[in-house]
Amino acid sequence: MARLRAGRLAAVGSVVLGLAPALAPVPLAGPALAQGTDSVVKIGLVSPNTGANSRYGAFAQRGAQLAVKEINAAGGIDGKTLELRPADSQCAPAEGVSATRRLISEDKVSFIIGDICSSVTLAMEPVVEGEKVLLMNAASSNPEITYKAGVGGFKWTFRNYPTDELRAAIVLKYAAQKMKYLKFAVLSVDSDYGRGAINFTKKYLSRDGAEIVSEDYYKEGETDFRPVLAKIRHEGVQAILLYGLADTTPIIARQMLESGLAGKVALVGNGEFNAAATIKSAPKVFNGAVEAAAWLPAWDGAKSKAFVAAYKAAYDGEEPNNHAYTHWETVHLLAAAMRAAKSTKADEVRKHLATFTYDSAVGPVTFDDHDQARLPMILIEIEDGQPAIKGAETADIDYPKN
Amino acid sequence: VLDLLIEQFVNGIVTGSVYALVAVGMTMTFGVLRAINFAHGEYYMLGTFAAWYVIDRFASSYPVSVLAGVVVVAVIAGVIGWAVMRRLIAAPFQAGVLATLGLSLILQNVIILVFGGGYKYFEGGYLEPLEIGPLLLAEQRILVVATTAVVFLGLELMVRHTRMGKAMRAVSQNIQCCQVVGIDVDKVVLATFVLGSALAAFSGVLTAPLNTTVYGGMGVMITFKTFAIIIMGGMGNVRGTLIAGWLLGIVESFVAGFVGLQFRDSVGFVALIVMLMWRPHGLFSTSARF
Repeated sequence: MARLRAGRLAAVGSVVLGLAPALAPVPLAGPALAQGTDSVVKIGLVSPNTGANSRYGAFAQRGAQLAVKEINAAGGIDGKTLELRPADSQCAPAEGVSATRRLISEDKVSFIIGDICSSVTLAMEPVVEGEKVLLMNAASSNPEITYKAGVGGFKWTFRNYPTDELRAAIVLKYAAQKMKYLKFAVLSVDSDYGRGAINFTKKYLSRDGAEIVSEDYYKEGETDFRPVLAKIRHEGVQAILLYGLADTTPIIARQMLESGLAGKVALVGNGEFNAAATIKSAPKVFNGAVEAAAWLPAWDGAKSKAFVAAYKAAYDGEEPNNHAYTHWETVHLLAAAMRAAKSTKADEVRKHLATFTYDSAVGPVTFDDHDQARLPMILIEIEDGQPAIKGAETADIDYPKN
Repeated sequence: VLDLLIEQFVNGIVTGSVYALVAVGMTMTFGVLRAINFAHGEYYMLGTFAAWYVIDRFASSYPVSVLAGVVVVAVIAGVIGWAVMRRLIAAPFQAGVLATLGLSLILQNVIILVFGGGYKYFEGGYLEPLEIGPLLLAEQRILVVATTAVVFLGLELMVRHTRMGKAMRAVSQNIQCCQVVGIDVDKVVLATFVLGSALAAFSGVLTAPLNTTVYGGMGVMITFKTFAIIIMGGMGNVRGTLIAGWLLGIVESFVAGFVGLQFRDSVGFVALIVMLMWRPHGLFSTSARF
């Protein structure tokens, strides 16, 4: 009998282990769809709408939706109206791929914007390639995405977003030369974005005479950073290299405050350090923080200011983030490309992008032969609880030889 | 270095206390039902959501939010216990797996539908750091450990000395005999389930100020941590659960601090596999109860 019972326990155990992935929340079905007519141009939007990165997805949807409204209000594209079809990737590559397939086979979209998470975008590239659907990425920063695009292989993937290589280089340079942070501990998110950013930072360590003394990567949804922060305190580093998720930044900041790291160890990297709500969670921790972002609400320029005002007016005064901006701008870019190509066919728009120049809020955008937009990264230092812009840099990417 | 060891030990005790509070409800439910409750982490999540809601909407104080979280979950657990869990008493274990797994998905997605999938920020709790010897600890962490000690003492007394506690132990040993001597098995199962779920909710609200964020999927990871703990502690063993919870918390804390944060979650799964292979009856008993 005892033997039998042990068997039952083992069975329960194996069910427990086997079901781990199945327990994650399932995506909600999208709205019921009417079959497309010729007067509508459908743009699929793949973004993480549930799970640890859902905040980003919400911003992306609101930004993109605002652009669609603006374009349609101004008469659409040669009389055709734009329509946004959102799909949830949960920031998981497998979910992102099935969301992409659903958009292509059921919603019949010819244009897709997505994803925010680099790991998902990397998985989407071969899918759109096979289906000849134009993928315009608006927010993934891992360099691999366009290493593999254009002359690198995938002909249907474009990216309207600067990369982590540029980000890592300018963040480290500023942190080392201006802030004199030379000894770093790594605490980044365990993903293609977090690990990728650290790999590129390592490339420039010797240039700036800096060193990394320890490396830790956190899982999405991690909430207990005390053990790592305790270790970091004992290492005597000047700064933490944090390429992380915006939702996790306040948790880390609060626990840094609690662990007595505020004012002693600075945050360097990316994770919406510049957002007012983030700084509010632990103002003392963010003083001296260094971050590079594709855009921030404080960016000067008429187009940028007009976007912030329109966004706030449309969404109850909410301050837009980087992802809201890049998705808004990318929808406008696609619309402009359609107008310039005088076509809403994916193939013709794609061919036109090679020679196309678009005036974005951060400067003119052109695509290189890897279908990567030449865009600046904006350098920010947090001074007395306020983000201060310390410059913007654009660099041609040094593509690895295959 | 000694300071660091002590600090990691204390971090582990705090984390382990939360694990133990969640796991004890699961282990007691398993004791009376012999069914693994895959939805257990969802009560932890629901409790935290209820507390977040009253703070966010009615600007309640933190103690009120704790009460709200526990009461709301007790009511929900009462309904689910009556409608679902009660029916699992004599059912094969597959029925329990399917029913609770289904509940888990329903509860998570209802929350996502109603409140959206995004993270919510939990305002409340006592985050002032206190200096104790070489280390700084938020008051909330001390509260977590102290409350856990009190709850476990209370549970131990209840299980040993009250009528309901004795009935719970009896049901966990032999359902047929209980029915013969006139114990209302349905009532005992329902009471155990409501108590266990309320404890999960309580631990959720207790840790919310430290975890800062509240979202629909937050219960999943904690459910998986509790599997390792209830097996280490010996299914249905209250005291064993506390020790196993602390043990997992401490080992995790040392792994996160000295090996790497990315390896932290593997501790629980490795412990689960090792226990199932060598000591499926738990660390503290010599023979299998179930």
